Amino acid sequence: MRHLGIGWSRFVERHPVPVFTLPSVVAVALLMAFPVGYTLYMSVHSWYASSVTSPHFVGLENFRRAFVEDDRFRNALWLTVYFTALATALQLVLGVSLALVLNRPFRGKGLVRSIFLLPMVATPVAIALVWMMMYNPTLGVMNYLVGLVGLGPYRWVSNAAIVVPALAVVDTWEWTPLITLITLAGLATLPIEPYESALIDGASATQMFWRITLPLLRPTIMVALLFRAIDCLKTFDIIYVMTQGGPGFASETLNVYTFQVGLFYFHIGYASSLLVILFALVLGVSLLLIKVRRGAW
Amino acid sequence: MGVTRKVWVLAIALCVAMASPALAQQFNWQQAKGTQLRVLLNKHPWQGAIEPHLKEFETLTGIKLIAEVYPEDQFRAKVLVELTSGASSIDVFMSMPAQEGLKYVRAGWLQPVDEFLKNPSLTAPDYNWNDFLEKTREAMVIEGKIIGPPIQVENTSLMFRKDVFQKYNVKVPTTLDELEAAAKALNGKAMTDDGQPGYGIVARGKRAAATSQFAAYLHAMGSTWLAPNREPMFNNEDGVKALELYGRLLRLYGPPGSENNHWYEASSIFSQGKAAMYTDANSLFPVIEDAQKSKVVGKVGYALFPRGPKGQQGATVAAWGLAMPKTSQNQKAAWLFMQWATAKEQVLAVQSEKGVLGARESVWKDPRGMAKVPADLRESLTVGSKVGTPLWNPPVVAVAECRDAIGAAIVVAIQGGDVKVAANKAATDVKRIMLETEKK
Repeated sequence: MRHLGIGWSRFVERHPVPVFTLPSVVAVALLMAFPVGYTLYMSVHSWYASSVTSPHFVGLENFRRAFVEDDRFRNALWLTVYFTALATALQLVLGVSLALVLNRPFRGKGLVRSIFLLPMVATPVAIALVWMMMYNPTLGVMNYLVGLVGLGPYRWVSNAAIVVPALAVVDTWEWTPLITLITLAGLATLPIEPYESALIDGASATQMFWRITLPLLRPTIMVALLFRAIDCLKTFDIIYVMTQGGPGFASETLNVYTFQVGLFYFHIGYASSLLVILFALVLGVSLLLIKVRRGAW
Repeated sequence: MGVTRKVWVLAIALCVAMASPALAQQFNWQQAKGTQLRVLLNKHPWQGAIEPHLKEFETLTGIKLIAEVYPEDQFRAKVLVELTSGASSIDVFMSMPAQEGLKYVRAGWLQPVDEFLKNPSLTAPDYNWNDFLEKTREAMVIEGKIIGPPIQVENTSLMFRKDVFQKYNVKVPTTLDELEAAAKALNGKAMTDDGQPGYGIVARGKRAAATSQFAAYLHAMGSTWLAPNREPMFNNEDGVKALELYGRLLRLYGPPGSENNHWYEASSIFSQGKAAMYTDANSLFPVIEDAQKSKVVGKVGYALFPRGPKGQQGATVAAWGLAMPKTSQNQKAAWLFMQWATAKEQVLAVQSEKGVLGARESVWKDPRGMAKVPADLRESLTVGSKVGTPLWNPPVVAVAECRDAIGAAIVVAIQGGDVKVAANKAATDVKRIMLETEKK
């Protein structure tokens, strides 16, 4: 016993890193591996949670059904892409512009910066509830505001044609600061030499922005884009609280649809296959963006 | 003295002799003494009203109660997950048969109570099953078996502003045609306290939530969810007419954004005085008559849902009830609880104290039972619960999924799309869902 104890302590002394990190590695692996593995397993089975029959193997039937038969799925897939493209584009343009403005020296800069970051730290559900009131077609402030410039009134989240843009605006309001923050960090690291050379060569401010700042910032912007694109693809809270996918299915993204199928209809097998598709989509977009970033670098 | 004493002794003996048959008949509430019951309750006005009385049950029966209360969504999920596991320790739970009954019965999870009801040693002689309103009894029957007693009843009904109808001299609608005419006549008329215009009518428009109230329009128009051969029927001519009417009412005379209104939003608009009529469950009356939040207290009339063109009744009868899982180890005690909770005394107590709409006719005839409920509501509820339909949901296994499919057609109707196409699409979806979920 004594021999074993000494052997063990020597082993620990020689390999502290693997020994001390092992428990957490095992815990994380189990916590991640089991749900992922079980979802994959269920995605090739058919099983209703309330059915007396146990899950039975159906191969790729769930996937075939999703792409071939289920128009609600196809609608959800399209809406996911639409929402993501719209929200990230809005956030990118606004976020980078804001960062450029905030990067200039002015009085009270620190305070303004902090205020701009506030939406990001609020709870999404609370944000959704507040925006729901603002979007209310009769009582909300949004119709009053757009009315000032002669527009509206709109039925913001109950009109199928504009519900997705209306939701993208909420997401943009909340997450533009993140892009600003990342871009500001990128701006702080830009070298000063290219600007000095450009100044000597007589370049204008616009030329310097398009030819120097933006190319140098590209990798940073790509990181911000990657973060937001992944998040937008799986946005749930704002959409669920504000519309629950409605009116009809006009704002039912893949994540919301999967939630309905899994936790309302209890069709666990099919919901798992939808999750696998969502996972593949997120992974695909991430790989694509990483590749673009590397290419640009 | 001696003679008087003898007379007394004789009188007492006589009384005892006469009382003994009655004593023998008296029901034994203590027959499951020492048992422990696990009761799952949904956060609901009935639960709030019965909870203070639960100690009385424990004293009466010697049975210990462990009551768990959850908000509705979590409650439904918890019951389902426990029953799915097959190892549930639930003894009694609150249940809406039209929502989950068929699913649970087909899965073999519920213990019908028919046998308990027939057994005089298990059921008190004064329980009187026939005292429950006719259609509420029907609502508790799934595939020929009674799954438990009803605890609360509600109808889709017409709630209207008495003052507005009087001011503009409009007749309270009793038919669907009159309903539309009244909505048209009153839409845009001044009806709030500060004289602002209001809407002709308000109702739910949110996908699945709207279906349970649309049911009244569907039935009044002469259609229903499924034909006797279990083929979807709501897309027939009358069904499409009902959809068109519902959509037209909300599109033309309802508040903008109706497509996103659940009962909460709809009742808020009505309580704020911004609508002349409101079709929804009459159990919402405490919200509408809440002096703290509502601006229409005392101004609202409660009427039976308007009849259809051929005189058909549309009022739905939605009942909450109690049910018992087959896995319960204490079925006798569970039945005693179900019986106690729905006995006349308890129904009277919850109805008179908190205005919970009970399902017993005798309570509705008792002045104490009416204390907290407007007289016209009592009238329309008792009639509605006799002539209405318990089919406020499609009678299928996958209720939630089918409600979503049909709700999509309701949204199309409100938005003014092609109703017939939407109805047929919903029927195709319902058929597919039934095929998948109702394999024998």
